[in-house]
Amino acid sequence: MSDPLMPELPSAGGGTIAPRQPTDWTTDAMRQRIRKRYARERRFRRLGLVAVVMSAAFLAFLLVTMASQGLGGFFRTEVALPIDFPQTGIEVDKAALDQPGADLALAGAGLENIVGSAAIAAFGDYGPNVISDNAWLTVREAIKHDPSILDGRAVIHVPASAEIDRAISETGTPEAEAAVTKLQAENAITEGFNWRFLSASDSTDPTQVGIWGALKGSFFTMLVTFLIAFPVGVLAAIYLEEYAPKNRWTDLVEVSINNLAAVPSIIFGLLGLAVFLGTWTLFGHKVGPLLPRSAALVGGLTLALMIMPVIVIASRNAIKAVPPSIRDAALGIGASKVQVVFHHVLPLALPGILTGTIIGMARALGETAPLLLVGMRAFIATPPDSLTDKATVLPVQIFLWSDEVSRGFVEKTSAAIIVLLVFLLAMNAVAIYLRNKFETRW
Amino acid sequence: MNDLTDTTLAQTAREHADMADSAAPVKMAARDVHVYYGETHAIKGVSIDIDMDHVTAFIGPSGCGKSTFLRTLNRMNDTIAAARVEGQITLDGEDIYASGMDVVQLRARVGMVFQKPNPFPKSIYENVAYGPRIHGLAASKSDMDAIVERSLRRAGLWDEVKDRLTDSGTAMSGGQQQRLCIARAIAVDPEVILMDEPCSALDPIATAKIEELIHELRGNYAIVIVTHNMQQAARVSQRTAFFHLGNLVEYGVTSDIFTNPREDKTKDYITGRYG
Amino acid sequence: MTFSALIFLIAGLGLISWLTARARAARFDRAGRRRLHSLPAQHGWYVALWTVVPPLLFLLCWSAIEPGLVSQAVMAHPAAAQLPGFDFERQAVLAEARRLASGSQIGAFNPLAEQLAPVMAEAQSHYAWLGTLVAMLLAFAGGAFAFTRIRANFHARTRVERVVMFVLIIASLIAILTTLGIFLSLVRESLRFFSMVPVTDFLFGTHWAPQVIDPNDPGASLGAVPLFWGTFFIGAVIAMLVAIPFGLMSAIYLTQYAAPRVRRWMKPILEILAGVPTVVYGYFAALTVAPAVRDLAVMLGMEFASSESALAAGVVMGVMIIPFVSSMADDSIAAVPTAMRDGSLALGATTSETIGRVLVPAALPGVVAGVLLAVSRAIGETMIVVMAASGAANITLNPFESTTTVTKQIVDLLTGDAAFDSPKTLAAFALGLTLFLVTLALNIIALRVVKKYREAYE
Repeated sequence: MSDPLMPELPSAGGGTIAPRQPTDWTTDAMRQRIRKRYARERRFRRLGLVAVVMSAAFLAFLLVTMASQGLGGFFRTEVALPIDFPQTGIEVDKAALDQPGADLALAGAGLENIVGSAAIAAFGDYGPNVISDNAWLTVREAIKHDPSILDGRAVIHVPASAEIDRAISETGTPEAEAAVTKLQAENAITEGFNWRFLSASDSTDPTQVGIWGALKGSFFTMLVTFLIAFPVGVLAAIYLEEYAPKNRWTDLVEVSINNLAAVPSIIFGLLGLAVFLGTWTLFGHKVGPLLPRSAALVGGLTLALMIMPVIVIASRNAIKAVPPSIRDAALGIGASKVQVVFHHVLPLALPGILTGTIIGMARALGETAPLLLVGMRAFIATPPDSLTDKATVLPVQIFLWSDEVSRGFVEKTSAAIIVLLVFLLAMNAVAIYLRNKFETRW
Repeated sequence: MNDLTDTTLAQTAREHADMADSAAPVKMAARDVHVYYGETHAIKGVSIDIDMDHVTAFIGPSGCGKSTFLRTLNRMNDTIAAARVEGQITLDGEDIYASGMDVVQLRARVGMVFQKPNPFPKSIYENVAYGPRIHGLAASKSDMDAIVERSLRRAGLWDEVKDRLTDSGTAMSGGQQQRLCIARAIAVDPEVILMDEPCSALDPIATAKIEELIHELRGNYAIVIVTHNMQQAARVSQRTAFFHLGNLVEYGVTSDIFTNPREDKTKDYITGRYG
Repeated sequence: MTFSALIFLIAGLGLISWLTARARAARFDRAGRRRLHSLPAQHGWYVALWTVVPPLLFLLCWSAIEPGLVSQAVMAHPAAAQLPGFDFERQAVLAEARRLASGSQIGAFNPLAEQLAPVMAEAQSHYAWLGTLVAMLLAFAGGAFAFTRIRANFHARTRVERVVMFVLIIASLIAILTTLGIFLSLVRESLRFFSMVPVTDFLFGTHWAPQVIDPNDPGASLGAVPLFWGTFFIGAVIAMLVAIPFGLMSAIYLTQYAAPRVRRWMKPILEILAGVPTVVYGYFAALTVAPAVRDLAVMLGMEFASSESALAAGVVMGVMIIPFVSSMADDSIAAVPTAMRDGSLALGATTSETIGRVLVPAALPGVVAGVLLAVSRAIGETMIVVMAASGAANITLNPFESTTTVTKQIVDLLTGDAAFDSPKTLAAFALGLTLFLVTLALNIIALRVVKKYREAYE
């Protein structure tokens, strides 16, 4: 204690310090206090559990609501419509039915009226309201498929009208209810998978709508997004991670990327609108719009700018995770820097890059707001055939249908949401799979 | 060299032996304690008595289980999901692993000081007041002030910080932080204080102050200190337990252990043959 | 020749030049019996780049000026003199002629268009051939030039790598260009807007009615304060009242209490909430939540309860943000050293006391930064408010009443057929600029706080 290193403690001697009084834990007040503290602990814990369960319950509620409303959209009510063709006096050249003009020929032969009359014959005066306005199209396809039915009486399952649909699922007009009761008694109502929903495009009639056009539009848009965002994002990440000197320029790049990742998506819509669709005055000439409005090309470019920071950030992290020893090894045998990056670092970082890209693409696939601004909200009844055709995408289609007043669209909107969610979940599952499969601890 | 170390250690231990009192009452007792971390058998059947009013040092090579065992004494191992404790540990004859035992109360009675100073990111005052506040030990503001002052005084920190009690506890030097942590621990009036290598992150001057503080505190608490430094064990403790590979190899009065170890392993260790 | 065919042709030429150059370089190797500086494939790349890049650059410029040249040629035709002077009609006729010329339209409505169509078709094919010819010439010239340069000691690799470097730098600059592009385009349109509407009217005016703009005083009905309030009320108040407690408590429960197995399952489930597209939330808000909220309001005795209440949009938005807040809180709490937690537990604190008095206060900067980011996300969120909130610009504190937001108004203003330079359309850009600056500020502050906070514990 005479250690010169040891300074005298101010409190040494202890004279000023009151003697210790052990806490009496056994008094009633203390026991009660501890009981209260434990009660608080339990309450707090339960609160946390409630928060987690409620969040999960909200998700479950959302999914169940969409599923219960949307599953009906994949099916359609069909009515068995008997048509006695010889009696209708239809006159068509059967041989011509496998030729391009067949549609026109059948329409010219008054098929629509024939189907209408057949409905009256079969279901009485209310008949034309039982079948969908487009029921004759189904009949047309049936005739083209098998011209021999024109020789006799055939029963064709045609889509029911929206009124009948509603009378079955909920309550419809009294007439529709009566018709349904009658049809059910005759076993004339069936439920069939609505292939049309997957193969058709937008329409004003909810029984006729499909998502094919929107899916194709989404595909084209995603194609453009991927072709732009992936190479640019990965190359930018390579530069920033492997080459960039540490200076104010690269700091600026870094800050831009981090901030772009958090810029609201609608701002990208404004950017797309102003840059790609706006007009510019260059050297006194009016230039622009650079790109066609409402096209997948514009939407894809806009989304590419939006998800590029996501891909850059993910790729940088993946590249950063490749250990320096691998670079040193390749450099040590005389590889050039470019060779090191493209032969060694990039392949090793690829799973991480792909995971980030898929997550970014999933975000782009679900994005709506910026696309509304670049005009992809038009009514598109024919699927786009090229990147510059007018197109819409699945989320925008959902938005457009959700605005429709007709009750029949509710089901279709939810059905389209199910399709969108299935795509997104699949993409996320692939991303998680990739991450787990290729996750390497260096 | 070995002899020299041996002699110095033994001498230090003897110098401090005057305080040893073999007839002290037992504060905590462990009987056949086993600790498992998942598959690992970390502590293998340790039985030991911790005496009141004494400093007990746990020494041994790193990974020997001394810190693990220390953490079983106030059930801090509960916070590690994979840890499992078997055997019996009593505090004043009460089994601390019994189902009726309140761990909150236990930890208030058996305080702990950690290897790295871990003051809360609060003011110095709030750091010390934290324990009394959660346990409801102060009836009024002036009560609390008194507790804070008394604890800081006991920790030998009062004069250094009395003018800046509202400063952040994290803004002090390492040695001061550790003494703040000791003040924080004694503010709830524990009966036992566990110290897990309290000086390993400190410089020699700060270490000296902590050791001095341990001396000061000895009379009122049962203190258990885990240390790597045998000089320290010899300087501050009256009882020494030597752990090796999860076993308690030897336990006894410090001066005996350092002058006259019964086990070869102990001897090898304190003479620096391994460790 | 179509554009894509031309691209394929150039790519084909590139491939051929790559193969020939590689073969030639390989022969150097054998003939000279000494090591080449660069691999044969690198010589191949060098020549291929010279073959492909010049014609592609040319085509890029050409596609920008070709339409101008075509319309100049059409204007020179005598029939063009009859074109209507009014710009809009004129453009319509020309567009129809273009469609006729390309064959995408068969019958003509406008006789003038029918007259101009052949002229246009001729000009188009003329310039298309010209462009193709020049592109081909450039490809051959570039290829031949490069081909003559390669020899055994030619440093093809260095040159190719220089191009790669250049491409990399360009790619990384696109991020800056995008930021700059956003800023400049918003500022440009906003300046045009502010030349018609005084800034003060826009920023401090409390009357918003873009449907009825008085041409003499457009600023009177373009006061954005109600939008700012609505955005703040829905995004920063109601949504946060849902997101912060739920997100924070979920993070606390999952990190401090839940068994590892529960955590492993619940975390991804919460993350799904973040992955659901906003249009789905919007639909859900409009279809399910909003009617329920209105019914609640009616039950509480409000007579004219809105079915487009701020509450419905805000609550759903809050749910969407939960996983975001939760993961930010999770990160911040995880960053607090375990020693802190142990220190508190060792004093006999219960877990909840430790969380409430030590962990959360210590993690506060991180949590606050997370909340700022969440707010920035909420006020920029568009689809939920477009679908579930109203267009009525009210300043109200009653969550059952309807309010509108900046993002909803941007969408509403830009969908419609207003001309591009009307104050109504340009107001959207002014709103966009405001939104951009506010979210940018929130992000910068939040990232600063997070960075400082991370440093404090390292």
